[in-house]
Amino acid sequence: MNTDGATVVLAHGLGGSSDLPVPYAYAMVGAAWALTFTFALVAFAWRRPRFDPLKPGRPLPTAVTTLVDARATRWTAAAAALVFTLWVVSAAVLGPQTQSNALLGVFYVLLWVGLVALSLLFGPIWRVISPTRTVYLLLRRIPLGRPGGRLSYPEGWGYRPAAVGLFAFVWMELASPDSASLPWVRAWLLIYGATMLAGAWLCGQRWLARADPFGVYSMAVSRLSPFRRNPATGKLVIGNPFDHLPSLPVRPGVVVTLAVLLGSTAFDSFSSSPTWRGFSDQTSRAFGAPPTLSSSVLRTIGLIVFISVVAVSFSLAARATGGVDRDQRRALPGQMAHSLIPIVVGYIFAHYLSYLVERGQQAVIALADPLGRGWNPLGLAHLHVAYVLSAHPPVLAAIKVTCVVTGHIVAVIAAHDRALRLLPAGHQLTGQLTMMLVMVGYTFTGLYLLFGG
Amino acid sequence: MRRVTVRGAAIAAWVAALICGAVACGGSTNQPPAAAVVLDVTIAKGQVTPTNATLGAKVGQPITLRVTSDATDELHVHSSPDHKFQVAAAPNQTFQFTVDVPGNVEVELHHLDRTIATIQVQA
Repeated sequence: MNTDGATVVLAHGLGGSSDLPVPYAYAMVGAAWALTFTFALVAFAWRRPRFDPLKPGRPLPTAVTTLVDARATRWTAAAAALVFTLWVVSAAVLGPQTQSNALLGVFYVLLWVGLVALSLLFGPIWRVISPTRTVYLLLRRIPLGRPGGRLSYPEGWGYRPAAVGLFAFVWMELASPDSASLPWVRAWLLIYGATMLAGAWLCGQRWLARADPFGVYSMAVSRLSPFRRNPATGKLVIGNPFDHLPSLPVRPGVVVTLAVLLGSTAFDSFSSSPTWRGFSDQTSRAFGAPPTLSSSVLRTIGLIVFISVVAVSFSLAARATGGVDRDQRRALPGQMAHSLIPIVVGYIFAHYLSYLVERGQQAVIALADPLGRGWNPLGLAHLHVAYVLSAHPPVLAAIKVTCVVTGHIVAVIAAHDRALRLLPAGHQLTGQLTMMLVMVGYTFTGLYLLFGG
Repeated sequence: MRRVTVRGAAIAAWVAALICGAVACGGSTNQPPAAAVVLDVTIAKGQVTPTNATLGAKVGQPITLRVTSDATDELHVHSSPDHKFQVAAAPNQTFQFTVDVPGNVEVELHHLDRTIATIQVQA
């Protein structure tokens, strides 16, 4: 076994230290706020639905919409993203074949967490910058027989292919035998690109809208953005994100997609706890299996259990109401799914903000010299990562707890409002109680895991 | 317009209060003594002791690993930035390092693929 090929499980394939646990008092303050707010909301809040995705919003100047929608703008953004992708690919293939390769930071930090930040600020941006989409649009211009639309996308699949893709990503990051292995990450990306292009070739762009894991991730997070389109005129408007949130399309697999995001983030916290490590080591010794393989199998099972718990508890809580018939009850989890988005986003920021800010810098510095030949075209190579968050643990802990609690509060407000719209009179209060309790459960678990499990 | 501004201010004030409350509550952390942290590690017959231990340390405090081993291996200290030490098949080797950025630092034995300890490095 040579030194470079030996496996060692790095946190997210990146090495370096991880965040300190949140102090007990912070977690308690956060939990108290979450609990108080939830029950104050159920007891005293409005009794008529207030949020409506059909509200017009405050229009931005027409020039903004024209600029954003201009073909030139779209192609410039797409071309810039494609050039960036080619840069990263050249680093992945020709660059140093070690853990300092820029690919790992781009894949695990800039893509996975950066996409959330961008989508939250600007809307569903992956549709514009997705390199697979750009490649597909370019291929379509080659007159090789018109691709796309040979088959229609099976609507019954909904977002399920995207949920599978997201699971494949979190499996690679948290449960694969070696998340820092360049060949594995390259293979992952190759399979992803091939699947997206093949699906788009057969089913057209709808495949990319439904089955691209990053597209659906970006679309779901963008429902919390203040920017949206007026549904009647298509113009860009700025408005209350609470009006934007219920516009999440209800399709098969929407709950599972969000459960993959929340469950995997929770499992990431849990799997770094000494409790899990001890359990994992003990089990692998009991079965006499090689530690890398058995740890990967156990992590896969743990990941699936966490995701299933989120999906099942959310679905049951959404269904737990009186006064609806069978079909209405079946539809309820999907109709409530948008209220999971704030919890997901809050917890992702709580968990990965220091990664985005600090490992993000590391990734950008690594990208400045993609082939490891001492290039310094942008003057970045001599820079060092500024540990702005890790160096101030109390500030970081306060930000984390604030993210989780804010996500929780936005979620219960959205769930309350939707319950008023969906549930029949007389069951509106009791019908949302289970959902509120489950959300409090998610938030308490999240805070407990941040506190260190 | 006016209502939106008032609501915005209220939300901002609430977030500020939440942060201040949280920071104030957690301000008084207990200080561990600043003596050197020493961890004894034994590697014998493909097994390492301890595994998954937890330790506390402070930024800049010297941390010493005292290793007795019957095989060559490599110690990885996942701090920011990382440290690597070559372990020889010999008793009582000492490796010393300090950590400059607070965080949970894992000490891993590379070839045996085991986490020896997680060191909580406080500011």
